[in-house]
Parts: sequence; structure tokens; C-alpha cells
Amino acid sequence: MAIRICDLHKSFGSKVVLDGFSVEAREGETLVILGGSGSGKSVALKHVVGLLTPDSGQVEVDGEVVSELGREALYRLRRKVGYVFQFAALFDSMTLADNVAMGLRRQSNLTGEDIEERVAECLRLVDLDGYGPRSPAELSGGQRKRAGIARAIATRPQYLLYDEPTTGLDPVTRAMIDGLILRMSSELGVTGIVITHDMDSAFRVADRFAMLYDGRCRFSGTPDEIRETDDPVVRGFIEGRPELMESEK
Amino acid sequence: MARSSPKLMSTAVSQAKEVPPHPGPFMIQILGKPFVALGRGSLILASSIGRWGALTAEMIRALRHVDVWFRLLVPQMARVGVDSVPIALFIALFTGIVLALQASYTFTGAIPLYFVGVLVGKTMMLELGPVLTGLALSGRVGANIAAELGTMRVTEQVDALETLAYPPVAYLVVPRVLAAVIMFPVVTALAIGTGILAGWATSIQLLDMSSAEFISGLTLFFLPFDVTFAMIKATSFGFMVASIGCFFGFHTQGGAEGVGHATTRAVVVSSMVILVLDAFWAVVLL
Repeated sequence: MAIRICDLHKSFGSKVVLDGFSVEAREGETLVILGGSGSGKSVALKHVVGLLTPDSGQVEVDGEVVSELGREALYRLRRKVGYVFQFAALFDSMTLADNVAMGLRRQSNLTGEDIEERVAECLRLVDLDGYGPRSPAELSGGQRKRAGIARAIATRPQYLLYDEPTTGLDPVTRAMIDGLILRMSSELGVTGIVITHDMDSAFRVADRFAMLYDGRCRFSGTPDEIRETDDPVVRGFIEGRPELMESEK
Repeated sequence: MARSSPKLMSTAVSQAKEVPPHPGPFMIQILGKPFVALGRGSLILASSIGRWGALTAEMIRALRHVDVWFRLLVPQMARVGVDSVPIALFIALFTGIVLALQASYTFTGAIPLYFVGVLVGKTMMLELGPVLTGLALSGRVGANIAAELGTMRVTEQVDALETLAYPPVAYLVVPRVLAAVIMFPVVTALAIGTGILAGWATSIQLLDMSSAEFISGLTLFFLPFDVTFAMIKATSFGFMVASIGCFFGFHTQGGAEGVGHATTRAVVVSSMVILVLDAFWAVVLL
């Protein structure tokens, strides 16, 4: 039960985004992938659920190679993976409750009552109790992010992928979302991949770190190891010192 | 062998730059530009038709996901059809009035006045009913679909659908296209009826005609095939307007500007396709 990204290559036109990126998220752990804006973190994450197809290399989820799955097998796999989008990607033509219920309606074993209960439970979990009838346009940025998390966890997935879950949020909301990520891991045993460049949040939630730089994995290790690394690029990034990163170029 | 000095080489280069371009290639460059543009345009057109065909094929495959698209069909029929009725009837109303008045103006003294009914009926059924309704709905429905799907694409809502295990074509394209295919003929039929009624009201109020005269004209050359012809056209217009709107919406790139481009292209292309199809059906069926 793991997500394994092996030697992933992806280019858009002449722009090489991933150039042999490899990393593994082990069962039950939260892996934080660090990297600057535009370094290809979201691109890597989209390969995990088959939203993008690699030029070469592969992504394995539970031992299945995502790019080799047929349409139906891919949908089966996606039911095991929750995806929290950077800007929530809520369906703006629906209420919040309908947004959260969307994934559940694809599960034929749930009745209408079950779905309603699960929606209420998920909204309570992200502190949006009573917000079900509202439309996404009526929510603040932080509420939208939390609603995105509620939608992703509603199907009780085995894996959760978070695309910059705390970017642009106030410190209190950030701490709350970090708490949610930790609960998903500790209480539900969810394997998570978090991509972020918010270092405070990263250190709060990470069991392990990987750093994506120049399309490749520059560093992989525990929070203690990343704190003590001598790699100037990694140090420059986590300490916010561009001069260290420049010296490497 | 002595090597040329850098100075000599630089002089040679500057002299080479001063030589006027050869008249042959220069003329080819000037005269060739329209051909290059034509070639590029043809490639873009061929590629777009190919991608539209691929989306249509995907839509046909997605029809099997009845559980996904069926519950969305009725709301889409309301949006595509019911909500479009006022604009379609408004256009048909004034078209009927103008047709009756222009027919009477043209026929004065030469042709019996009951031919106003012939012209209003035939023109509304065979041409203006389907085409004007199609054009009005291409602006309303096609633009709406392209803008909605385009916004969903650029805000990752289409990706979100995928991650929730919904086939996006079954969820977004199938109900819209089916709704248009079902509702365009209904709206067109209402528009034809309204146009004819408006022509009748104009004839008896303004043209000194009786209802019997108008109706005898209306039925004089009426063929049941006229209705079939109008419905075939409306159905094909519905399919094209919705599928073109979905195509441009689905392939939107960039942000708000991309959505704007997609919407404009959807309206322009679907309007052009309606006119081409109009001629096509006239050639094939009449």
C-alpha cells in the first residue's frame, strides 16, 4: 500500500518539467514534497491520479501502474484516492453539501440517508457544520479550502493528495488544516502526499520530506535529516536564503 | 595556407549584408505569405475538426454511463430549451409580421393576396424558423455552454470531476448535447407556430385579408415533409451548437481571456456551421 513515483519525465512543448523524478510515499505516512513555484510539484501529483500521462517513467499506486490502467480500472483506483486542489475546485453550480456528496453518489452501496449523514460528518470535521446549503461563492478562501478537504475525505480514501492546502491562508486556518492532515494520518491511517512551499506547515505535518528541484528529487529524508542537510539548495529553500541556491547554479 | 584576418572577415560579412536579396526568393517570400497563412489555417481547421470528431466519438462511448448523465438531462433541457423560448418567440413574432407585410408589398396587384399565407408558412417552416432560432440559440446556448465548461476547465473543476471518478464527457457533454438535440426542434416548432400566427394576425389586421384567405394560402402548397425538413434542420443545428460549445469549452486554456476566446469562437463557428448545414440540407433534401 504505497505510492511510488519512478523516474518520471514530463515535458510541455520544449519545457521540461519533470526530468527523472522519483519518490515514494509509504503506507500510513505523510510525505511532503517541497519545491519552488513552477517546479512541477502539481504536475507530479496529477500523474498519481492519471490526470496527466507521463512521457516516460511510471507511477504505481498499490502496485498498479496508473498509466497502464484502462478507463474503468482508473476510476476504481481514483475512488481510493482523495485529491485536494490548490484552489479547491469546488463545483460552483452546486451547494456545498452537493459538492461533498459528489464522490459518494458514485458509490452504489450508499443510500440517500447514508450520504446525508456522511456529508454532515465531513462538514463537521472541517468545521463547516451548517454550511451545507451555501454555494461556494458564499465562502471565504479558507472555508473553500476546508470544503475541498471535506469533499476529498468524504469517500474515506486510502490516499490523500494535497496540492498546496495552506497557501494564502491566515495562520489560524493554516494550523487547523495542518491539524486535519495529521488527524487523517493518525486516526484514519491515510497515506498522504502534501505539496507545499509553506515550511511551517510542512514541518508540522511531514513524516518525510522530498524536494523537487530541476525536475528531479534533490533530497529525500526525515524532518531531522532535512534540518541537518548540507545541501545548499535544500538549505536555501527551507531557510528562505536564495543566495545559497544561487551559489549552486 | 594563410588564415583570413578577423578584420577581413568582418568586412566580408558586412558586404554580404548589403547585397540585396535575390529577386526569386524575395518574391516567393512576399507572394508566399498568403499561402503560408492558408496552409497554417488549413492545418488548424483540420486539427480542430479531428479533435471535435474525437470528442463526438468519446460522447457516443459515454452514452453507456446512463447513471451519470440521465439525472442531468431534464435540468439541461430546461436550460437549453425552456429558457430559450422567450428569445426564439420574440424573433419569430417580428419575423412573421415583417414576412406578411413584405409579401403583401411584393404581391400587390400581381398575385392574389392569399399567397401571403403561402409565403409566410413556407418561409417560416423551411427557412426562417429553423435558421433564425438556430442562430439565436447558438448565441445563447452555445456561448453559455462554452463559457461554463471553459470556466470549469480553467478552475480545475473538470479535473475534480475526474478525481471523483466521474467521466467528464458523460457528466458535462452528453446531457448538454442530448438536451439540445431534443429541445432545438421543440423551440423551433414553437417559433414556427408563433411566426405563422404573427403573419396571420398582421394579415387580418393590416392587410385587409380574412382568416379564411390566409389559411387557404397557408395550406395551398403545404406538404407534411415541410415539417420533417424543419425538424431535421433543427435537430442537426442543436447537435452542432451544443457539441461545438462543448468542444471549445472543453479545450479552453488560460484564464478569463481563454474563456472569452472559447465563447466567441463557439458562437462564430456554430453560426457559420448552421448556415453551411442549412445549404447542405437544402441541396440534399429538397
